[in-house]
Amino acid sequence: MSQAATASASQGSHTGRILVIATHAFTQLMRMKVFYFLAIFAVIALASNFISLPQHEGPESMGSNVLSQIKSWSLGTMTLFSVVLAIVATALLLPKDIEDRTLYTVLAKPVPRFDYLAGKLLGVLMLIFVSLALMDLLMVAVLQVRTSMVLTQQQEMATALGWSQGTIDSMRAETEALGPNWSLQGAVVAVFLRSAVMAAIALMISTFSTSTLFTTIVSFLVYFIGYFQADARDVYLHSGEAGQGVLARLGSLLVSLILPDFQLFNVIDTVIQGGVLPLDVFGKLVFVGFYYTVFYTFASWFIFADKEF
Amino acid sequence: MRLVRKSMILLAVALVFGAIRMPFESALRGELEKSGLIPRELEVGTKQKLGQTFAAVSLGGLRTLVATFYNLRAFSEFTEQRWGDVARTFDLIVTLAPHTRYYWETGYWHQAYNAASYYINEEKLPAERRREAWRESIHAGRDFLERGIRNNPDDWSLWANKGFLLSDPNKFPAFRDQAKSFEEAAEAYRKAEATGRALPYVKRFSLYALARVPGREDEALEIARRFYNESERNHTPTLLSLLFVLEAHADASQDMEELAVRLFGTKEKAFEQLGTHWQRTRDRFPVYGVAEALQRLGKDLDIPAGENPLNQPLPPPPGPDQWFSQ
Repeated sequence: MSQAATASASQGSHTGRILVIATHAFTQLMRMKVFYFLAIFAVIALASNFISLPQHEGPESMGSNVLSQIKSWSLGTMTLFSVVLAIVATALLLPKDIEDRTLYTVLAKPVPRFDYLAGKLLGVLMLIFVSLALMDLLMVAVLQVRTSMVLTQQQEMATALGWSQGTIDSMRAETEALGPNWSLQGAVVAVFLRSAVMAAIALMISTFSTSTLFTTIVSFLVYFIGYFQADARDVYLHSGEAGQGVLARLGSLLVSLILPDFQLFNVIDTVIQGGVLPLDVFGKLVFVGFYYTVFYTFASWFIFADKEF
Repeated sequence: MRLVRKSMILLAVALVFGAIRMPFESALRGELEKSGLIPRELEVGTKQKLGQTFAAVSLGGLRTLVATFYNLRAFSEFTEQRWGDVARTFDLIVTLAPHTRYYWETGYWHQAYNAASYYINEEKLPAERRREAWRESIHAGRDFLERGIRNNPDDWSLWANKGFLLSDPNKFPAFRDQAKSFEEAAEAYRKAEATGRALPYVKRFSLYALARVPGREDEALEIARRFYNESERNHTPTLLSLLFVLEAHADASQDMEELAVRLFGTKEKAFEQLGTHWQRTRDRFPVYGVAEALQRLGKDLDIPAGENPLNQPLPPPPGPDQWFSQ
């Protein structure tokens, strides 16, 4: 970080300081050329549109199945990319600052440690957000073009067969549900929220971790276990009926209280299949994601607050 | 020592915050499951079948992607005619993507149509075994489709497919009570229509199935009259023929020739279409009054007796007895 930036960071408000550190972290990560991944995503998004997989399709569908395929490939890639980036990028940040000795310079200034951590996390989240926004833009563009093509073909077929307007409208609505819509955007936000939670967890682990490798491995483990948190909760809540032992109850209670429930974000799969994500459910997901992220960020600060270097 | 103390404090805080969010999380999960926004937990058997893929499958956003790849596998199994594998793979696919109509329709189609047809022609197996395998494939296809309907009760296409299966001349012989099959087919088409999204032919198909249920002719007649009056588009040869036989059933004393001309427009057209209807023995449509009408129309039109469909041999209805005779 430059002298000027450090000076302004130390003199400004909390928000100002966090933003300066976030911008620096964002730039630092961008220099690692992570955006090259977007080229791979572009290939995947375009391939999902043009590659015709061997499958059976009735003539009435007019290729509408490819719409689900585009969403499935795109959101799957977004999921992988965002989670890997959230974990690896966050795991790299603190060790890199220690290695570069930037951390000592920053902490020698009157910069609260919380601001430092929050800024770093915000930098990672900015990177994920920008990446997802670009991928989303490409997915929506490809999907929009293909949906228009399918709708035109269906309209021509329906007109030739003399279908009533009501039937045409119903078919159109079915196809449009598979195209770009607000629910799809909600799913992309769900992808972002999940990676935000994962970044906060990786940050917390990196505050006491001894190496980048350790942080990465443990974070991925937490990520996987997070998908079974709901199972652990069910085991705890229904353990009386199933006659579970005390240890099993205690273990399941610990997992369900400490780890986040990542399955809540699996609404993505339903959206891919043309389902609608209601606004109230979306709101609750945002709340849950925010709750997890804030909690793990404060936990990071609690560990990091008086850590000696 | 300080690190231990801090860790204990952090653990305690995590537990308290976890306890605060647990009821909310649990309720939200219940709400998401109830509204079908997240799939219910995979059963243990399914987890085992998925094997190592299970870990990836658990991750949201990847389930449908994995289903796409399993669909490719199913396609290979289909081309190699490994029907057991096709069925097992589709079981996995629909577990991963339970709201994708395409998978339910393709899975049922492979079992009830492709596998069933395969066993008709598979000469390596003895006739009795082929017959049993044919029947089982159709029943397995039906069970699979009905599972799809239970998962997606508002999907008109799945309901319509159930109607197709139960009223298909090549399939309904697999069901013991054929009148019941036609009744269930009519009900399935009606439910497809009730979704408000079904294609126009579905409601006509509902009539075609109902007309074949003994004892429900009056109900079918009412529907046929309504469709007939509703639009000229509904004046298809099958609907006109069924309207004719249902009217004839309702009043056997009326002039059948006059009724035929009234419905079909001309004597020639009536003769041609009722002749076709008479010969459609495979579909098991009722034929009330058709013989009388053909007799009189043939006489009026000076059709040589040998050319009247009434005097031509009826095509034997193909069915399991014929397919598996040797």
